[in-house]
Amino acid sequence: MPTRRLVLQTGLATIAAPALVRAQGLSGSITLMSYSGIFQDNYVKAVVERFQQAFPGVKVNYVPGGTSAQMVGSVRAQKADPQVDVAIMDVTTSSIGNIEGLFEKLTPAEVPSLNELHPEARAAGGDYGPAVTFDHLVLVYDTQNLKPPIEKLADLWRPDLKGQVALAAPPNIQGLALTAMVEKMEGGDYRKSIDAAIKKLRALAPSVNTFEPNPDGYSLILNGVVKVATGWNARAQLYGDQTGGKIAALLPPEGSVFQINTINLTAGSKNRAAAIAFVNFALAQAAQKAFTERMFYAPTNAKAAIDAKALARTAAAPESRGRMIGVDWNEVLKMRDQWNNRWRREVIAAAGR
Amino acid sequence: MTAGSRLPWLVVPAALLLLAVYVWPTLGLFRTAFNEVGPTGAMIEAWSLKTTGEVLADSFTIELTLNSLWLSLSATLIALCMAYPVSLFLFRTQSRFRGLLAVIAIMPMLVSGVVRVFGWLAILGDRGLVNSLAQWLGLISTPMRLVFNWTGVTIGLAESIMPYMILALLAGFGRLDRTLEEAARSLGCTPLRTFLRVTLPLSLPALALAAGLGFVLSMSAYITPKLLGGGRVFVLATEIFEQATTNTNWPVAAVLAIYTLVLLLALLMFSNVAARRLQR
Repeated sequence: MPTRRLVLQTGLATIAAPALVRAQGLSGSITLMSYSGIFQDNYVKAVVERFQQAFPGVKVNYVPGGTSAQMVGSVRAQKADPQVDVAIMDVTTSSIGNIEGLFEKLTPAEVPSLNELHPEARAAGGDYGPAVTFDHLVLVYDTQNLKPPIEKLADLWRPDLKGQVALAAPPNIQGLALTAMVEKMEGGDYRKSIDAAIKKLRALAPSVNTFEPNPDGYSLILNGVVKVATGWNARAQLYGDQTGGKIAALLPPEGSVFQINTINLTAGSKNRAAAIAFVNFALAQAAQKAFTERMFYAPTNAKAAIDAKALARTAAAPESRGRMIGVDWNEVLKMRDQWNNRWRREVIAAAGR
Repeated sequence: MTAGSRLPWLVVPAALLLLAVYVWPTLGLFRTAFNEVGPTGAMIEAWSLKTTGEVLADSFTIELTLNSLWLSLSATLIALCMAYPVSLFLFRTQSRFRGLLAVIAIMPMLVSGVVRVFGWLAILGDRGLVNSLAQWLGLISTPMRLVFNWTGVTIGLAESIMPYMILALLAGFGRLDRTLEEAARSLGCTPLRTFLRVTLPLSLPALALAAGLGFVLSMSAYITPKLLGGGRVFVLATEIFEQATTNTNWPVAAVLAIYTLVLLLALLMFSNVAARRLQR
């Protein structure tokens, strides 16, 4: 005679069966393209390895693709014969891929995790690949040699920082984000004009050591070349931990700007089913929690239960969210060339040759 | 089939390789130059000269060209001044270590360009060798800005093209006959006058060859301006890279690449003509 427990177990098994069959049925390999370095190291540990445990038949090849623009360039060049199944890149470049038909639209029917995302995460990609991580621009500084430490964006203009600042100028998106932040600091709105920002940045130019930090601002601080640089929160937090607190990240009280990475399914993927499964897995609560707690990117899954300490170090913390300036990257893209020209002719030119 | 008639077949493998890795991609580059870019950066397939027109009409293209020419000219002149005495010494020396010395002179070519640039950062940086020494000697109180600007790029570029110029000079010293110099000396010329009236004129074809090579290499140099320029040095090579890999604007990058290619071909032709005239 069937007991209540048996009935319950049978019922649960029936519900779970299609998913299990699907998981077991998936096989072959997929290629995931994204950033190299610490992003790759941590994403593989937090997400890729977990996915492969859940889907043992699928092998994920992680291919470092350089910058987001280089990644969309690779996908574009392989349009006739796609070699990449899933690509994680900045929204400013994935939107180009969406328009060019390089990526596929996604639906909740195929990717159920879409239903759990923050509205702004869904909105980032429209009908296409949604946001998979949120990050924001911070000021990274040398905690050992910068006394007093910086406390606000306006501190960049401190006389003692002359020659000690590294900024990534446009067309790098850090430079675009900084322009919007400085415009807001000066009481303006980037949608209307960036005149105030350019004027203020022009005054900062002589203090700038490099407008193109190589390999990045974090390394220049750690090597003693500069004391302050622009950077992304997640990487700055991780480097801070890895170096025993030699660098720290400041979310300026004047405001900051979100950087959004989207996860995209390549049109014509040769292993579409496995690629869809990966996208769904990457957006699901477990993967989002694991990656946020490991690398401090803010989660895009609203239901992910993140450790409070880790969450406080991301842009998802309530006090951080309140400081974010609403930037529509698609609008900024349309103004990018104009901003870039103004930086070159008015800001960088003021720094001397 | 005679040996002479079989000879052209020897170039077939190299020609096929060139066709696959150079001609075919270059044709793709020409095709891309006709495309357009939408307001958000998406590439629009087209057969249009709009992008070419915009790039050529942009005053920044002129600025990039002048910057590239000026940087190449300065780096080539500095490198030539350093490479000429070294080459002359290597050409003349009877030392049994001549081979070893020649290898030492061109050794920088064996090191990756990126590594060389990071070496310059360590030497010319604010806390680098030059600034530390100058501060220790009391010559300066605050570090001189020697990198992340035009100074750093010019120094780095001159050093990177110097080995190529040494090789070109050694190859071009064919007419430099020692007996002519000895004749001049025996007729009462001072060493300086001998150099100015005999050695230098006979070296001119080699100097033209080396200068042409150095100039073309400088025009197409990317790593040095990118890493030592600190975002302040805008030249054609860095702009092509920027447009292709940061702006995702392939059509503009393609137009600029073709523009640079035409410019370099013209410069090479000019350099060859100059070298031939000097040889007469």
